[in-house]
Amino acid sequence: MNKGRGGNSGGPWGKGPSAPPPPSNDDFDAIIRRSQEKFRDFVPGGGNRKLIGLVALAAVGLWLASGIYRVEPEEQGVVLRFGQYDRTTEPGLRYHLPSPIETVFTPPVTRVQRIEIGYRTYGGSGTGREQSVPEEGLMLTGDENIIDITFNVQWKIKDAKNFLFNLRNPELTVRDVAESVMREVIGKRPLTSALTGGKQDIEDENKALLQATLDSYKAGIQIDRVTLLRADPPSAVIESFRDVQAAKADQERSINEAQAYANEILPRARGEAERVLQEAEAYRAEVTNRAEGDASRFKAIYTEYSQAKDITRKRLYLETLEETMKGMDKVILGEGGAGVVPYMALPEIKKRQGGQQ
Amino acid sequence: MAAKRSNTRYGLIAVLVIGAFAALNSLFIVTQVEQGLVLEFGRAVDVKKEPGLHFKLPFVQNVIIFDNRLIDFNAESKEINASDQKRVIIDAFVRYRITDPLRFYQTVQNERGMRDRLNDILESSLKKVVGSYPLNALLSPTRNKIMENILAEVNQQASGTFRADDENVSDAARQVAKLGGFGIEVVDVRIKRADLPQTNSEAIYQRMQTDRAREAKELRAQGEEAAQRIRARAERERAEIIAEARKTGEVTRGEADAVSTKIYAEAFSRDKEFYDFYRTLQAYRQVLDGKDTTMVLTPDNEFLKYLKEVKP
Repeated sequence: MNKGRGGNSGGPWGKGPSAPPPPSNDDFDAIIRRSQEKFRDFVPGGGNRKLIGLVALAAVGLWLASGIYRVEPEEQGVVLRFGQYDRTTEPGLRYHLPSPIETVFTPPVTRVQRIEIGYRTYGGSGTGREQSVPEEGLMLTGDENIIDITFNVQWKIKDAKNFLFNLRNPELTVRDVAESVMREVIGKRPLTSALTGGKQDIEDENKALLQATLDSYKAGIQIDRVTLLRADPPSAVIESFRDVQAAKADQERSINEAQAYANEILPRARGEAERVLQEAEAYRAEVTNRAEGDASRFKAIYTEYSQAKDITRKRLYLETLEETMKGMDKVILGEGGAGVVPYMALPEIKKRQGGQQ
Repeated sequence: MAAKRSNTRYGLIAVLVIGAFAALNSLFIVTQVEQGLVLEFGRAVDVKKEPGLHFKLPFVQNVIIFDNRLIDFNAESKEINASDQKRVIIDAFVRYRITDPLRFYQTVQNERGMRDRLNDILESSLKKVVGSYPLNALLSPTRNKIMENILAEVNQQASGTFRADDENVSDAARQVAKLGGFGIEVVDVRIKRADLPQTNSEAIYQRMQTDRAREAKELRAQGEEAAQRIRARAERERAEIIAEARKTGEVTRGEADAVSTKIYAEAFSRDKEFYDFYRTLQAYRQVLDGKDTTMVLTPDNEFLKYLKEVKP
């Protein structure tokens, strides 16, 4: 274009050019002339002024039409006139005076955005892989221990105007402040309270502090949620923490085993005690009954005996001997034991007893 | 002819073009997030803070645009000595706003220049404030107060309102103090990370490990203790139960013996001589039984008296 215009002595601006000079293929002028002709084909001069007017009108129309914009349901439109805030528009098809008079921003005001701290999710939420970022997650606790924390912050735009105009880097600011606040909150707590329980407390305190700080910046940001995902000992020492858990289990196991032992021996002991008592009772019954039986038998015999003492006495004596001596080996010696050496073969007796056993 | 006519046309066009260019050059837009500093041959003549369309003299004046928003500045990590000589690595960030574009331009030209100065100021402020507290103050509710002090200190240095004999003020701040500061307002300084250097972290890890090991040992020992106690108590109880039962059993047996003795005594005391006879006969029955006994008798025996003769 420029080249064409520069070489054209008449200029393209509506003036009818003089008749084309005879063509010459050899010199530079000829090349210029040829391009001139071509140019004329595109921008016809003379009676075609109307067409130029139409083109200009179309250009102006297009320029005006460039002011049409759409605000999506989750967005809000913020219109600036010569850079100055003019109005806020709601979702729908809208119009603003074309640039550079007016410009529009459409921040997504209802969309909840998430900032991950201590970890990053890759490849979309839910299915994505997680990778930890230890330099964000590791922090000091109030008792100078180190804890590994991951959390996320869900926020949305509270005030589109403040959000757009007050902070240069709103997302980075949310991240920085959230990280700073978490370290402040964790720094006040001893390790054990940060590890166990207190999750809700930490989240609430973080959210409140974060919101207050952002409000002091007039950031136009609303913190929806602070979610503490993980509060663990650092990986370097997690084994020893697991060992404490194992020790707790061991403790309970020892106690349970002892309790089981107690539960086993005590009923047995009670059973044993009952047996001893019952044996004693049995003995009592046996002894007294035998005594009573013996006594009554004696009484009965005595009653009989007292009626005929001599006869009964003799009878008892003879009956007893008869019975006891019936099965015995008996040796009867002569008068006065004459001719027999009273020799007792003790080994023989012993042998006989041994043989019996 | 044709050349003359086109010359006047060109002249007109040139005037129009130059006029339009001048008009455009005299107009400038300051948006909602900006502020403009108008310079005339390098000398500041005006500051435009309100957003909108503004005028200036074409060609002789030019405009430098500065940000009007809160600007973030994350400082490099700094290793600071706390008052108890513990070293701590501090990451801090600053949020500031350019309040006086002229002074800002005069002192640091642009934000890059500001970053270097701000880094120095922050470092000297951290050294002064953090250095006056022990490490554990950073790990306590006092942290908030420390951050407030740092903010005040940074603001003093940035605005040149520090005391002249303050040794901690950075050279950068000292240089611009005469001009009345950098023309910024520091809105917030927050400590992001306050960590111990790597070697100290190792020491902490070791301490944490030994702490846990101690706790684990204690728990296991406590478990043993409780278990022993339970076992010992159970065994004692078992011994008690059985001893108690044996005692009761012996008492019962004793009573039984007493009762039977009494019964026997009562029955047998009617005739001692007959009891003697009767009981002896019973004992014979018990003792002299079976084949193991060999009885050697002589006819003198009472039982055998009739073997010898029959006396009339």
